Amino acid sequence: MASISIQNVHKSYGALNVLKEFSLEIEDGEFVVLVGPSGCGKSTMLKILAGLEPASGGRILIGGRDVTDLAPGDRDIAMVFQNYALYPHLTVRDNIGFGLKMRGVPAAEIRRRVDEAARILAVEHLLDRRPKQLSGGQRQRVALGRAIVREPQAFLMDEPLSNLDAKLRVHMRAEISALHKRIGVTTIYVTHDQIEAMTMADRVVIMKDGVIQQIADPDTLFQKPKNLFVASFIGSPGMNFLAAAPANGAAIRLFGKEVPVNVNADRLMQAHSNGGIVAGIRPEYISTDGGGTEFIVRPSLIESLGSEKYVYFDAGEHTFSGLNDEEARKGLIARLAHSSPLAEGQELKLSFDPARLHLFEGKSGEALN
Amino acid sequence: MKRTTSQNIALYAGVVAVCAFLLFPIYWLVVTALATSAELSQLPPTFWPESPQWETFTKVWAERPIPLWLLNSTLAALGSVALSMFVSVLAGYSLSRFSVRGGHSLGLFILTAKMLPATLLVIPLFSIFRSVGLIGSLWSLVIAHSTLIIPFTTWMMKGYFDTIPRELEQAAMVDGCSPLSAMVRVILPIATPGLAATALYAFVLSWADYAYARTFLTNEQGSWTANLGITTMKGEYVTDWNEIAAAAVFIAVPIIVIYLFLERYLVGGLTAGAEK
Repeated sequence: MASISIQNVHKSYGALNVLKEFSLEIEDGEFVVLVGPSGCGKSTMLKILAGLEPASGGRILIGGRDVTDLAPGDRDIAMVFQNYALYPHLTVRDNIGFGLKMRGVPAAEIRRRVDEAARILAVEHLLDRRPKQLSGGQRQRVALGRAIVREPQAFLMDEPLSNLDAKLRVHMRAEISALHKRIGVTTIYVTHDQIEAMTMADRVVIMKDGVIQQIADPDTLFQKPKNLFVASFIGSPGMNFLAAAPANGAAIRLFGKEVPVNVNADRLMQAHSNGGIVAGIRPEYISTDGGGTEFIVRPSLIESLGSEKYVYFDAGEHTFSGLNDEEARKGLIARLAHSSPLAEGQELKLSFDPARLHLFEGKSGEALN
Repeated sequence: MKRTTSQNIALYAGVVAVCAFLLFPIYWLVVTALATSAELSQLPPTFWPESPQWETFTKVWAERPIPLWLLNSTLAALGSVALSMFVSVLAGYSLSRFSVRGGHSLGLFILTAKMLPATLLVIPLFSIFRSVGLIGSLWSLVIAHSTLIIPFTTWMMKGYFDTIPRELEQAAMVDGCSPLSAMVRVILPIATPGLAATALYAFVLSWADYAYARTFLTNEQGSWTANLGITTMKGEYVTDWNEIAAAAVFIAVPIIVIYLFLERYLVGGLTAGAEK
């Protein structure tokens, strides 16, 4: 186990900068998740950390040792790949023991450690099989076994669950978290799935276009997003965004009402002249209970999930066109927990607590509160 | 979609017809070897000799240096396989895995060598071999055959390596392998079907050569390959076609045996289970 220090690492292919000045300090035993959309540079960072790709600049220290120029095998790390990368010509036992064999560990010791890893991952009965005779979940366990048997300084995991079906993914997610708690090895986990990131991580690193957007624990990311991108990326369904105008003093104008906010008037005016004010409210903080800021909508679509309903409605004059994803096109969403009968097109009174509002500057996307 | 009985009959009839078409020359070779001279010139021909002349095989084997010719052909073919596999595995792997400036153009340039007719290279190769004293030596065939084989087998191997996920050698490198040992310990065992197909191609191409053997080997009978030797069995006034056919059967047998031996490796699917 070891701490990891990534200092100003960057990577470019010709004129294309895929990773820009990435710096991150990871504590011993920490579980850090790199998350972001495709092409954000998260897998590139992991490969640079593993030594599979050279960095264009910067330094990497694992356990205080500079490993920037070391070969992957000399970094004392283990990696779990998205497609498992099990050696198809070897049995499960030989797959798990391969790394130990390469390091010249005596056969009896390899056998003992492979048996121990197989016991931890409940794959003892599969040791004599070949990878093609295993199910997806079993292959994933063998890939994990290959990592833990080496007792490395750190685990690197590159979207290890993305090839599993939804049910198995939830199960393996819990298994990996439990495994981390049990053996406590520093882990860096890459995923594009925000739910994996939020449920597994001690800290999450959100990336976009090769740049770190925010590094924080899951609760902070949810409650205090640093910018529009983070606010839109975290949460399911995503945060609602509304174009707002400044009102008198520390307040904004929304749905024809003055809504008090915890941002001073000058800052609001500055943001207004700098791309406008964007107000964000999470779907779960909109309710039918009344109180706070109330407004009337006509739902365009109601999706029932049994225990809750997703109510879609039009933002009208507050439509924010800065985000162009699927959910933004659907309009705004309220996530209503109770199951009273609702009908599309019929008036519905909704409300939210102004303290739950997030405010952003339109141009830079930076959070104002 | 389930086939009807008539469709099945048509399908099997088609398969039988194609097989008969492809196997007829081999069958006719055996018939020719077993027939008497009289039967060979008879019209209409007999499709199976009345009393098969099995002794033709023992006669040819005893009277002609067939074993020596077969040995020479084997040595030239094995040498060509070894040299061309060594080069094309490394070159194919490099073309598949390492992106270097101009790498793709270099790969295409290698392939253009395959587009040249073999006979175009005969004169320059002869000139080179004469100056280094290789004329009459089987080494001349090993090198000459490799010049024909390597361009194609390099691309065969590149194509095969392209189908193997890069993560496998990345995993091996994280496990402590160097790039070369990752290739040897992980990629080559997985590439066995590709290696077998490539080796078979190289062996057959070398085994079937006549033009280079005729040019680079001297009149010394002991250095001839089987293909070269067999052409000398045609006399100026009398030709024993049954003896030539018997010798041809001897030459065909090793290729058939090798194919049967390698066939199980030629069937792919070894990489199943490496990834989802």
